[in-house]
Amino acid sequence: MKTLTRQDLAALAAQPAAAPAEWIRVQLDTGGIAAGAETLFTALDHARLEHRLPFALQRTGSTGYAFADPVVEVQTVGLPRVHYGHMMPELAPQLIESHFTHRRLLDDHVIATRRRSLVLDAPVTHILVRDTGNGPGSKTEFFQFSFQEELKRRGLADRVQVVRAFDMGIYDEGAVVQLLPSAVTYTNVLAPDVARIITESIEAGKVLDDLLWKTSDKQVRIVLRHCGEVDPDSVDDYLRRAEGYQAFARALFELTPEQVIAEMKVSALRGRGGAGFPTWMKWQLTRAQPATQRYVICNGDEGDPGAFMDRSVLESDPHTVLEGMLIAAYAMGSSQGYFYIRAEYPRAVERIQRALDQAREIGLLGQNILGSTFSFDAKIRLGAGAFVCGEETALIASIEGKRGSPSPRPPYPSVRGLWGMPTAINNVETLAIVPAILLKGGAWYAGHGTETSKGTKVFAVTGKVRNAQLVEVPMGTTLRQIVFEVCGGVLDNKEIKAVQTGGPSGGVIPASLLDTPVSYETLQQLGSIMGSGGMLVMDKGDSMVEVAKFYLRFCVDESCGKCAPCRIGGYQLLQILDRISRGRGNAGDLAIIHRVCHAMQKASLCGLGQTAPNPVLSTLRYFGEEYQAFIEGGPSYARKVSGAAKAAKAPAPATTQEVSS
Amino acid sequence: MKTNPPSGSESSIADLRHADEAELIDMLEKAEQKHGFIPREISDEIARLLEVKLERLRRIQGKLDTTIRRDVQQHVAHWRNEEGNLIMILHAIQNQHGYIPREVAMELSRELGVKLARIYEVITFYHYFKLQPPGAHNVTVCNGTACYLKGSGDLINELRTQLGIAEGQTTPDRQIHFETVRCIGCCGMAPAMVVDGKTCGHVKTSDVAGHLANLRAKKETAA
Repeated sequence: MKTLTRQDLAALAAQPAAAPAEWIRVQLDTGGIAAGAETLFTALDHARLEHRLPFALQRTGSTGYAFADPVVEVQTVGLPRVHYGHMMPELAPQLIESHFTHRRLLDDHVIATRRRSLVLDAPVTHILVRDTGNGPGSKTEFFQFSFQEELKRRGLADRVQVVRAFDMGIYDEGAVVQLLPSAVTYTNVLAPDVARIITESIEAGKVLDDLLWKTSDKQVRIVLRHCGEVDPDSVDDYLRRAEGYQAFARALFELTPEQVIAEMKVSALRGRGGAGFPTWMKWQLTRAQPATQRYVICNGDEGDPGAFMDRSVLESDPHTVLEGMLIAAYAMGSSQGYFYIRAEYPRAVERIQRALDQAREIGLLGQNILGSTFSFDAKIRLGAGAFVCGEETALIASIEGKRGSPSPRPPYPSVRGLWGMPTAINNVETLAIVPAILLKGGAWYAGHGTETSKGTKVFAVTGKVRNAQLVEVPMGTTLRQIVFEVCGGVLDNKEIKAVQTGGPSGGVIPASLLDTPVSYETLQQLGSIMGSGGMLVMDKGDSMVEVAKFYLRFCVDESCGKCAPCRIGGYQLLQILDRISRGRGNAGDLAIIHRVCHAMQKASLCGLGQTAPNPVLSTLRYFGEEYQAFIEGGPSYARKVSGAAKAAKAPAPATTQEVSS
Repeated sequence: MKTNPPSGSESSIADLRHADEAELIDMLEKAEQKHGFIPREISDEIARLLEVKLERLRRIQGKLDTTIRRDVQQHVAHWRNEEGNLIMILHAIQNQHGYIPREVAMELSRELGVKLARIYEVITFYHYFKLQPPGAHNVTVCNGTACYLKGSGDLINELRTQLGIAEGQTTPDRQIHFETVRCIGCCGMAPAMVVDGKTCGHVKTSDVAGHLANLRAKKETAA
């Protein structure tokens, strides 16, 4: 590919590429590949060659539907564009036959679009049905049959297909029906409504107001805007289909670095790594520091167990992150950047490396980029499995090739960072937002979110949740909305006990406080933190003492050992918790826990030690009676609890096995 | 050959050259029984022979050393002009060998002019670097929070019982290495387990035996 010029970029902006009429996009991120997406891709490719079908087969990253891996998206002439979940490789021939021979959608795999319309702007061609109720026995098939019979009776059966959906994105609302292609959605549909829907909506084109689902989707996709849409391995795709590098060109040719920072200030974007420091200020401080060299670092050392936002963004949309880094570098006057990525994410590393190579090839990295005076290059540095390296100063030490021990701040990295030079460290998510802000303006971004926390935040919702997935919601969305409305509530309809945010540095939020709007401040008030965005759902069966122990053990393992409060305090805390969980705690233990936690928070050198007590303190605050029960109940109680937990888990494999055999 | 054996015992030396250790010891014992001590000429011959054998072994060692040196030099050359290259070089070495062998670390220390202690300081700090060779097959259980909540603890216990080893260890026959990992980012399919690079989701304790049997079967067909 030849070197890109400013004119080329302008031409691309003026004329987006024509998309092929028919395509299948296979979502190949780590989760998808683990579920068999590579095999599916090969199977689809074989089928395509065998039948000489003209559709384009594309690789993309993940939309975020982790619960439905492997996921594909299909666009065929005459059919609405759909996502299919649980598309196992052996279903490839069926998919091809259904779409290209019969021109019909497949039953039981459609993930309904989250874009729900209030007006019927096109004649209905497909009806998606799914019973989302919790009652015994699904009525999905009954509704499919009723619709089909009614359509047949009116001679509409060839015009409209009725499809059983896999997921509607709406939960506990009875039978849900979506009319495609307009995506008008009806909920709590009862048997008598079937005829009415057909008469009014399908024949007369009117919307039934009493059934209409008017709540718009909670999600707003800014960070994830290209995830699952573009091919992460192709800069060409990014340039043509995703306004690739337009934001960077705008910054480079139309704005001064000060104006870029001013735009960031308007957007009020705060660092998405967890601490929430204003991004513009970080850039400003780094820029203001006189130096011969300044560095930009992208922090992709996502060490929190249970979080996979950064991995997903790096794997699905590497060029956006790179573009964000280019803009940051331009704003700060830096000519060298580093991607610090966990070695445990080989696919993310591979895709970022490819993105860097491609960008270098077309002249978006290197000397005098696009004919300007701006020069920049970026490299990858691998993490090696140390959670503490997510901490700024430890991360810098690790890039320098040393042990990842944190050092006291100040001096902050923006004054003395990598090799003693001013350095700005930005999270993957932060950098992915930057191009969007420059394209659409800071004011547009600040239009989302709350007073103090602007914009959107990506959460990886996992644990005992029905649909584990990536969720991007505006700040201020409540935890309940995220867990119940977007992700479908607790697995197996159990009762929710708590939500844990912020990984090992965060805390638990009990069910009674689920209506809290999510923002940096509110979560902190509750004794948790926003963190990088892991969100774990726990049901009534989970023991909070065990959970606290789990997180604390993690922090004790990961403590670098440099400062005493973290090294000794963490270990002692773990010993006490262990004693309590075996029923051998005594009345004074809780007071000691408080004292040790306090010492760690106040005296630890870095964030790891300061936040390590959070899981313990927050469980103690909201579920203190569980600790009391262990202390008062003694060993026999502890045995009963651990026995009950085992018994609760044991039948599950047995029953599923019966079903499978 | 620099050793020129005395003409009288030429035939016995020729035989000895191909003798293995057991035969040599056997011969010495016989001589001892016969004479009550080991005659000078026999001990001389053996000493010469050992010299020859050692020389051969040294050449093998030398060959190994040059290979290691060449490898290390290649890795270092690739990262020569980069500041803070140590971790990236260690990654390259671990990718090649599966762990960081002592000899390679020593060679690296010479090549980079960095003290061995400093290299070990870095290796031991990061969980990712290993000092022991991995097993022929690897079983890794994800112990991220999502997997933990969904029962990775039971999987770990099951593997411990089935394999008779704890996490981070390799079975005595060096076949299966069992470890746990923080999070592999497949929280959507928790609890997850990685068997020889292939991720298995929604693993039940009852599946563990099957996975291990598959691995063992693979080992036998390979053998």
